Formats: sequence, C-alpha cells, structure tokens
Amino acid sequence: MRIDTQPVQELSPHVQWPLPQGVVDLVYQDAASKRELETALRGCFRAWSYDELIPPSFEYADTLASEAGTQLAEEMYRFTDRDGRTLALRPDLTIPAARVAATRLHDQPMPLRLFYIGSVFRYEAPQAGRQREFTQAGIELIGAGAPAADAEVLALTVEALRTAGLAQFQLALGQMAFFHALLAELEAAGPALHGLQSALDRKNPADLAAALDQLAVAGPLRRAISALPELQGGPEVLARGRALCVNDAMAAALDRLSAIHELLLACGVAEEISFDLGETRGMEYYTGITFKGYTPGLGFSICSGGRYDDLVGHFGRPQPAVGCALWVDRILLARQRQGWQPAPLRPDLLWQTGACPDCLRLVGQLRRRGLRVELDLGDLDLEALRARAAGQGAPRVALCAGADAVMLASAGAAPRRLSLEQFAGEAATW
Amino acid sequence: MVESLPLAASQHADPSRLVVALPKGRLLDEARGLLAQAGYGLLEGDNGRQLVLPSAAPHVRYVLAKPSDVPVYVEYGACDLGIAGLDVLREAQRDLLEPLLLPFGYCRLAVAGPAERAGRPLRLEPNPRVATKFPRLTEAFFRQRGVSAEIIELSGSVELAPLVDLADLVVDLVQSGQTLADNGLAELRVILHSQAVLVANRAAWRLKSQAIGAFVASLRDRSSVGDRPEL
Repeated sequence: MRIDTQPVQELSPHVQWPLPQGVVDLVYQDAASKRELETALRGCFRAWSYDELIPPSFEYADTLASEAGTQLAEEMYRFTDRDGRTLALRPDLTIPAARVAATRLHDQPMPLRLFYIGSVFRYEAPQAGRQREFTQAGIELIGAGAPAADAEVLALTVEALRTAGLAQFQLALGQMAFFHALLAELEAAGPALHGLQSALDRKNPADLAAALDQLAVAGPLRRAISALPELQGGPEVLARGRALCVNDAMAAALDRLSAIHELLLACGVAEEISFDLGETRGMEYYTGITFKGYTPGLGFSICSGGRYDDLVGHFGRPQPAVGCALWVDRILLARQRQGWQPAPLRPDLLWQTGACPDCLRLVGQLRRRGLRVELDLGDLDLEALRARAAGQGAPRVALCAGADAVMLASAGAAPRRLSLEQFAGEAATW
Repeated sequence: MVESLPLAASQHADPSRLVVALPKGRLLDEARGLLAQAGYGLLEGDNGRQLVLPSAAPHVRYVLAKPSDVPVYVEYGACDLGIAGLDVLREAQRDLLEPLLLPFGYCRLAVAGPAERAGRPLRLEPNPRVATKFPRLTEAFFRQRGVSAEIIELSGSVELAPLVDLADLVVDLVQSGQTLADNGLAELRVILHSQAVLVANRAAWRLKSQAIGAFVASLRDRSSVGDRPEL
C-alpha cells in the first residue's frame, strides 16, 4: 500500500477553517449526480401533475416555528434583520408550502398539488447521516382528505424512489390517528406521556411497562399499548390491531388504513410498504398516516411523510393535507453504496482550433447538437493533446490543420487528415 | 484470515444475513452462554485476535467492538444489531431501537465520594469536581438537582481521582462496591441501574425484519424474565 506523505497544502490565513461543520462543497461527479437526480425527481413529480413551489430560504422565525414542533424549532438557524425582527432559515419545506397554500392559494380549486426541491437548514449536532444544510425533494397534496390522497402520496413516493434508481427499499407506514385515539383514553398529558412515547419510540418493552405502571394503566388499555411495538409487518397487522381497539376512533383509523391498502394494491406498490402501528415519532404536526422509507446499505431513513390536517389552518383557511419529503443527499449516498455508476464527466472532443473561424463555427454547431466540446487554449501539439485527452477520458482530439483541414485522432487510432465537411459528417455519427 | 469490506457489502445487501456488534470484555463473556443456547454461539478463531467472527448460525456474523463503540456501529447501520450496557446506551444517546433487555451485565452507575462525607446532601455542594467516564449522564444528574458540577472526564481508574485530590466525587459503575471500598470511597447515590440490552438499527429492523425477528425471539426465549431494578 502506498502511503500519502504529501503535506497538506498550506492554506491562506483567510481560510484556516475553510468551511463550517455540516455543509459540503459538491464538485464534478458529485454535483452532476445530484442535479441529475433532482431533474429525474422533478420529471416524476410533474408527470403526476404536481407543480413546483420555490419558497424563500428565510422567513420570520415565528412563522416557521409556530407549528414546527419544539424539536424543529430548537434546531432553526435564527438571525435578526435591521428592524430587530427574528428571521430563520427554513428547517423544512412543508411549513412554507402550508403557508403559501393558506395565504395565497386558498381560493384555487382544490386539491393543490405542489412539489419542491431545495436546501433546508438545521442547527443540530452532527450525527449519523445528518448535515446542517441538506436537500429535500418533496410533494404536498393539499385540500384532499380522502384515503385516495394518502394512497397517491405513498404511490408517488414509491415511484420517486424507483426513479432514483434504488435497488430495493421499504416504507414503514404508521397511523397517528390510531395512536392518538388510544392516548385519548389515558387521562394523562405532557411529561407523563413523554416516558411512554419515548419507550414506544425505542420499542423498549421494559421501559414501556415502567411507564404504564407509572400512569397506573391496566386492563384492555394496557394490553393495547403494550402490543404497539409488535404491531408491525404485512396487512395482517390491521386485523391484529382491530382486536385491540378500545374505541370507535381507533377502529376508524384502521378502516382508513385498510382502504389505503386496497388502493396501494391497485397501484401496484403494496410490496414496498409494510405497516407499523407502533411508529409514533416524527413531526409533531402529523394527524393521520406517517411513514418513513429505508434502503439497504444506509442505517437511517431516506424519506418521511404523512398527513397533517391541522397545519394549513394555522396560516388561514383550514385544509386537509398529506405529503412526503425525500432526503436527496441520503438517497445519493445509498445509491452509491448499492453500486450505482454515474455517467462519466468527460468531453466528447478536445479541439485545438487556434483562431480559425471555420473550426470555431463547427465547434458551435456540435455544441448546439449536445456534444461536449472542450477547446485547448494553449498550443499543444497532437501528441500532447492526445495525452491530455487520455487523462480526461475524452475519446478523441482534433487539431486545426490550416484552411479547411482538421487532424482528427480517436483514442487508439492513427490520426487522419479530414476536410471540415468530412469532419462534420463523421461528427454526426457520434 | 481477516474479513474486511466484502463483509459489509455482501451482508448488507442480503436481507437474510445479519451482522451483530458485540462488546469486547466483561459483557461478552456473559453474552457467550446465552448466544450459544439460542443457537447463535460464537465460533472462535485460532488466535483469539480476530475482530469478525462466524457464529453457529451461518447467516449471522459477529463484530467485536469496544463497548462504547457498539451504539455507533449500530446507529450507522454498519451492524444490524448489537449488545451494549444500558449505561453506555444512555451516555451515547444514539438513535436506536432497544427491543430486548438481556439477563446479564447488571451493575449500577453511582455517585461516590470519600467515605467520611457520606451524610451530607449532594445538592449542598456549591461546585463539586466530579471525575467520570460518563460526562453526559453525570452532567444531567447534577443539573437536575440545580448543582453546577465541574465534570472531569477520565478514561479509566476514576476512583483514583479523589485520592490525589483531582476531584471531590466520582461517578462510576459499581458491581460489588469492593473497588470503591478499597480506595476509601462510599457509594452516595445511584444514577442508573444498568444491564445488557439488545439494540437494533432502525433501517435493518424494517429491511431484515424476518432474520432480526427470529434472532430476537430466540434470545427472548432463553432470557428468563427477571425483575428490572427500579431506576
């Protein structure tokens, strides 16, 4: 093994710390792969008749924090404008979408179908798979409360993950309405519930039992809550959940999941979705279904979504809504680990034109046709030009050879002298 | 023969294969028996220095890690499951599932001080210097009591600190209390009752649910349900 003994290049004193923690520069293949994925997702969302929303990067902190939930509000980057008002970088894009829907699009025919692709900012301790600036691509279906709307968002999420090129993935679908209806039976609130929810979140049966002891929960209610961590798997989970219902709201929440499941079967995406009625974490604004997606090779979720019927009303006329956000950077990482090969970044042709107007005109034509043509700005001879092309992976080089003549050298072949017309004819086949 | 990267690639892709992180040291010695009874016993190599070991079940591999690193391996998904002490888990605060408590590794995380001060309430200490390997739990314990403690993080032999006047108190794991007594220290408060816990990665829990379910179930069947000490 060769050990790199080169000293780190000395930095200018202005960039002793070139970047804060939690942000990255993407160049070359990494930047290209990300843009290409975003373009593919944009195409997918548009095909489902979703329109793009581009909200501002920062807003009033109060607007963003109002419904974001305490966890998200704590993680916002805040700063003040010259009037002394507190602004914040958006910590997610669902809240701006809800604000736009309620304040500007409230008189449009419902439902609204919006998508977005952009950076979000969270000031959080760098930990597994988290950056402080990262990209979310998401969809919001606003003004539709039916199970069909839930199913559409789930099916589109599956389609988007397939479009992204992931080898395999799984969405775990929960139902906050089921859990909330169960909690409504407990005459407890706030801190007393915190231990319960934390134990459920970690699927820790001993902590769950201790929390239930503390709340003095017994009988069918205790049986139902204790069973939550086990209520995961295929559609048979719904039947098992039904046996534990202690009120009508719980039964209604399961009926809704059954209806959604029927629709997912019809859409051909039921294979990718499993149920987990014990999945109770996530954004505090979810009121119905919630889901998270996972793919092999990555230890954390690649997307999360759910129904949030109370959020839009916070900014104006209430509307039921359901949506999902994909974590673009994590999908890129997972795809790479699954062996995804990005298309190489290389010129199709390296050309030394000098100041020859005929050559330059042809360069323009080839570029407009979509070929990637790089000019050599120096005065390399043919040999040096070929060496440089080999280093870049460019398959061929050209060199102006006087009036109406070009030397063309393809990789591994002898150079040939061509007229510009012959050259253009051959380039048409690349 | 040391297995390296190919282990990760092949094992992660196949939902029927599991990689399990085990803590080197005391907890591992106690885990061996249970794993063997459950049909997942460790198959040791010749030299005892291997870090990746096969198990009696062909689809399960073990990775031997430093105990405090186990939660990290599992959170990142480098390992699907792991065995760690509750003390290590609560100190690390990693985002993990904890589907099963295991019947070994019992100990307690306690505040201890010189034997002669045992009677005085901790909350009357104005600014105690506390030596510990568990800075997060120690800080939380004193903060909850309104005491501004100076946390001195050490990586070993914490009970030495009061002897050389590096610290007034220590927070450390206690099993029998003999080490404390030998150094003239007495246990003052219990912060946490600890035992071994089986932890799981959230993604693996979904993607390898069958293999993980079988592993958890067979360990659960062999773990007698003992009383959990009060926290």
